[in-house]
Amino acid sequence: MFVPIAPRPAPVPTRGPVVWLRKNLFSSPSNTVLTIVTGTVVAFALYNLALFVFVDASWGQVWANMKLFGVYRYPADLLWRPLAVAAGMMFLLGAMAGVGGRGSITANAFFAFQGLVGLLSVLAVLFWPSVRVLWPMVLVAGFVGFLLGRARPRVVRALPWAWAAWFVLGLVVLYGVVPGTGPLRVVPSRDWGGFLLTLVLFTGIIPSFPLGVALALGRTSRLPAIKYFCIAFIEIVRGAPLIMWLFIASLLLPLILNVDANSLPAIMRAYVAITLFSAAYMAENVRGGLQAVPRGQVEAARALGLSAWQTTMLIVLPQALRAVIPAIVGQAIGLFKDTSLVFIVGLVDFFRVADLVSVQPQSLLVTGGVKLEVFLFVAVIYFFFAYRMSVASRQLERQLGVGVR
Amino acid sequence: MTQATTGTVVRADAPPGGERIIEIEGLNKWFGDFHVLRDIYMSVNKGEVVVIIGPSGSGKSTLIRCINRLEEHQEGRIVVDGIELTDDVRAIDKVRRETGMVFQQFNLFPHLTVLENITLAPIRVRRWKKSEAEERAMFFLEKVGIPEQAHKYPGQLSGGQQQRVAIARSLTMGPKVMLFDEPTSALDPEVIGEVLDVMVQLAKEGMTMIVVTHEMGFAREVGDRVVFMDAGQIVEVGTPEHFFQNPREPRTRAFLSKIL
Repeated sequence: MFVPIAPRPAPVPTRGPVVWLRKNLFSSPSNTVLTIVTGTVVAFALYNLALFVFVDASWGQVWANMKLFGVYRYPADLLWRPLAVAAGMMFLLGAMAGVGGRGSITANAFFAFQGLVGLLSVLAVLFWPSVRVLWPMVLVAGFVGFLLGRARPRVVRALPWAWAAWFVLGLVVLYGVVPGTGPLRVVPSRDWGGFLLTLVLFTGIIPSFPLGVALALGRTSRLPAIKYFCIAFIEIVRGAPLIMWLFIASLLLPLILNVDANSLPAIMRAYVAITLFSAAYMAENVRGGLQAVPRGQVEAARALGLSAWQTTMLIVLPQALRAVIPAIVGQAIGLFKDTSLVFIVGLVDFFRVADLVSVQPQSLLVTGGVKLEVFLFVAVIYFFFAYRMSVASRQLERQLGVGVR
Repeated sequence: MTQATTGTVVRADAPPGGERIIEIEGLNKWFGDFHVLRDIYMSVNKGEVVVIIGPSGSGKSTLIRCINRLEEHQEGRIVVDGIELTDDVRAIDKVRRETGMVFQQFNLFPHLTVLENITLAPIRVRRWKKSEAEERAMFFLEKVGIPEQAHKYPGQLSGGQQQRVAIARSLTMGPKVMLFDEPTSALDPEVIGEVLDVMVQLAKEGMTMIVVTHEMGFAREVGDRVVFMDAGQIVEVGTPEHFFQNPREPRTRAFLSKIL
């Protein structure tokens, strides 16, 4: 007679650092040699780096130019405006995090950024009188948003609109409303710079998203005029480097719009170039996703009586976009760093500030210069934001993977 | 060996007296240069269950895919519930609203829950209220025996359950005709029965069905007519008994001897 085998407990895993070391690093003589050699090289490099960072480096110039790194020439008495924009963003992110709850993508992102804001608040309170109150207020705005989101999860419905409104309103706040003097005076965009400018230019990815989706769909269109326009646009834009498009935009855009070159702010020209450039790449990413959706999905939707448009919007695009989230985030990370190319049209973004700081007279007085210090600082900041995006993307993929396939 | 039906057109006409819901006259279709459907004449009465059998590549799937215009035909007329299928998009949409289709690969929407899969078209196409659509959806989910799966995603269900959801999805639209394109071919043998049970019940309730399948047990139990196709043509038409006891054409016999 058949007798089922009774379940047995799994073997007790052997754990602990010693076991791990023996298994992974010292499993054989050759592995041991490899471990020792690599370990020595890494330790040597880390020691020298630490020696530089903590002993030899002169961080004075980085520390003294924090305002330049942050906002460049934005008037010091108007710093409350960019920080108000930041406060609004942290408020909205906090609300999303509050709704999402512990462990959600938004909560993880929120607490990472709150950590940064918290650090800046401490520094502001201790050392930076002009923003002594402002940075802590950004921190508070974030927590207020978080508590609101926790208390009233229904605000989630209004959040997309709030973000869109804040995107527009934020630009108005940065720019100002009245010419002349006073707290609401216009700050011409040539005075925007530093990390503020980097972030503003990075938002070019937002309009590039719908544009890219439209181009990708247009490329698959049956109407030849639309199809070939989209193909031409995508291929031409992708065919030349961003730095060239920035250059062309600064010369060509005024020509196309038939206005005086100086009446179009450089930032706007750069913004258009970045958005269109990003849209072309976005289109190709999205097209990859469109091709990954099986034909049967379209057939099932059409067989149910859904129109071609409904099929695209409700069935094809949601699946296509899900499939290309990693590619889109990769593109966002790339674009975030590529904004540093705007120096070619005379803009002073975060990266360009580093360059300027390193050639200040005071910097040149430092023996050996401060280039390394300045660029290390800039690299760490870029890394923080780029890595944050990467983490969020991985978590998003995992969440969307649930239940799909 | 000679081709028994060369030059011969076999008509699969519905018995007289019934109310015609599908009429296909002189249908021809090519994929590029390949003549995939050749002079098809077929009609179906309301409430009939027509089973189409034949070797793979015989055009049987293409034929039923022409009925809701997932494939375009080049020659002939197809009339479904009084509407002729032409390039007129509105006519096509109208026909698609009245014909449900069940696919071999289920084709559920993986990013939507079972309930959302079912209510999507009723809400977007029929403009039902969400609550109304969900109520109807639950009715049909009970009917196919899996109401408890309503809030899961398709990927969490077995193949048999997915196919039953697909049937419920079509039924919720209230179609006049159901087209089944090899609904059990992609299923594990042990779950084929649960899908066939649903189809048998549907047939007994009087649904008009056109079923492409190799399940001869199903044909025997509820089929009114069996159509045997080969090389893009209708070779033989008859009752299930006719096919099981005394098929006329040698090709039919050869095919049946392989699958029975």
